[in-house]
Amino acid sequence: MNAVVEYTSVRELRGPLAVVDRVEGVGWDEFVRFTPESGGERHGLVLEVDRGTAVVQVLEDTAGLDPARLRAAFTGTPLRVPVGPGWLGRICNGRGEPLDGGPPVFGTTTSAVSGDPVNPVRREPPAEPVLTGISAIDALTTVVRGQKLPVFSAAGLPHLELAAQIAAQSTAGGQPFCVVFAAMGVTHADAAFVRDALEERSASGELVLLLNTADDPVIERVLTPRIALTVAERLAFFEGRHVLVVMADMTSYAEALREVSAARGEIPARRAYPGYLYSDLASLYERCGRVRGLPGSVTVLPVLTMPAGDITHPVPDLTGYITEGQVVLSRTLHARGVYPPVDALSSLSRMMRKGAGPGRTREDHLDVAAQLLAALARARQVRELADLVGQSALTATDRAYLDFDDAFGRELVDQRRDEARTLEETLERAWRVLLTLPRGQLSMLPARFLDARLPQDGR
Amino acid sequence: MKTSLPAPMTAALEPVRARLLRAAEADAAAMLATADKDAATILRQAEAQAADLLAEARERGAADAEAVRRAAHVRARRTARARELAARRECWEELRRQVIRGVEALRTTEGYPRIEAGLTARAHRLLGPRARISPAPGGGVLAEDETRRVDLSLTQCARRALDGAGPEVEELWTP
Repeated sequence: MNAVVEYTSVRELRGPLAVVDRVEGVGWDEFVRFTPESGGERHGLVLEVDRGTAVVQVLEDTAGLDPARLRAAFTGTPLRVPVGPGWLGRICNGRGEPLDGGPPVFGTTTSAVSGDPVNPVRREPPAEPVLTGISAIDALTTVVRGQKLPVFSAAGLPHLELAAQIAAQSTAGGQPFCVVFAAMGVTHADAAFVRDALEERSASGELVLLLNTADDPVIERVLTPRIALTVAERLAFFEGRHVLVVMADMTSYAEALREVSAARGEIPARRAYPGYLYSDLASLYERCGRVRGLPGSVTVLPVLTMPAGDITHPVPDLTGYITEGQVVLSRTLHARGVYPPVDALSSLSRMMRKGAGPGRTREDHLDVAAQLLAALARARQVRELADLVGQSALTATDRAYLDFDDAFGRELVDQRRDEARTLEETLERAWRVLLTLPRGQLSMLPARFLDARLPQDGR
Repeated sequence: MKTSLPAPMTAALEPVRARLLRAAEADAAAMLATADKDAATILRQAEAQAADLLAEARERGAADAEAVRRAAHVRARRTARARELAARRECWEELRRQVIRGVEALRTTEGYPRIEAGLTARAHRLLGPRARISPAPGGGVLAEDETRRVDLSLTQCARRALDGAGPEVEELWTP
């Protein structure tokens, strides 16, 4: 197929779909360019091909088009985008077209947005941290370069603020670092907020921002994370940067996928999402990592809202199967005014041991994290007990755990929305919180760390 | 009814009176001291609270000022960036105009019949020998069959070449 050949046999336009007859050699997901006689250009993706008839989803919708005066050129390949450092500092829509008033993005080469799976044998395990400047994450669920760590949230919680803050202030220990932020299905107000929050990073040429707003075509939303990852892969594995890809909100993405699947007439599975939702999400999340013999890394931070806070909803459920842990936001903490409202006991970074500790972050990091979590678990039990018997019936040690819990939220987790804490500061705060407990309760911390911070006979 | 004690009894009670008076005076002095102490404590607390409020107000004021400064900085930088990008876009569009004009000018050159023959041959290769070929308004050819169309006009050829441009275009605005 050659993009020079245009079909004039568009039979009908139905909603966002165009049916083109008597086509030859057209395949699924092929990118299509529509040229109406009135001028301008629209784009589409082949949803279905049956014998000589192709059904194409038009990205910009079909409003105002006349099938008799419409030409369709099939490009012969799925969508390809130019890739290279030209993306840095640019703001584009969900299909990679500039929104910032600049020229198109030029790349050293083009890549198919569907991406190529990484040969599992060539994968390097994730190592070394990405420091987010968020205490609750850096201390307890450290993000590791090459990891995929989702943020599970619910409507009304500040997940977008958190995602933007992470994108604005993350670093990779002084090594070349950049962020690709793919906003999907966000409102215009949220899109403006993200732009403002990331202005500085964008001006430093360390950000690629793809904005797909809630009123953009759904098929474009399906492309947005793929374009983001394609751009990130080039910046990482060929340009040698550590790239953090933030994708918010993956629930909007999954809903777009459901809509496209319905348009294709596929048999719906759980909650009408397509049966391949798991493998589709995996095809995105598994594009992160490190590749042997190539520099850089791609770390993925998908943000997803759990409808009605339901963690068993298909999107968080399937995401949880693929990703390496999760950061869970809590309504209770949010109601207490703690930002970011990270529920430390429900959050986990499975790769943390590979990216934190001696030689990577700080010698005492893993022990401090383990002790914090153990003490938080005990504090939760104590709080439940206090609900039954009243605080006055608790032992002094138990009351110390309640004080510890309060101090944990106030001193360590809570931080300003523009505050980037160094790991050093985070761990020092963690120590201050831990030392509200009697020394006898800090049994997970090696004696040498405790001796350095406490008098021998003291608490 | 008031009765006065006999003088010897009054004299006998004098030490008791004196004692009671002393005790009352001591109590009063203690109460006064406590009141003074309380007043001093309240004053100190009030001063400390006032100082805290002042510090907090200063901090908040400084934070607000910083936020305003940052917002102004962000606006200025965004405006500068928007101008830079608009200038780049203008460069790119000017390049497109010049390239398209340059390619369209081939129509008036001696080699044009050869170009046209080449484009016609390409149209036949793409649509088959039965394709209807017609000259394009700005030079080049248009070819059609029942369901397909090929635009090999000079303008379209130039556009396609520009669409495939790589980062070398960025040399237009890179020092």
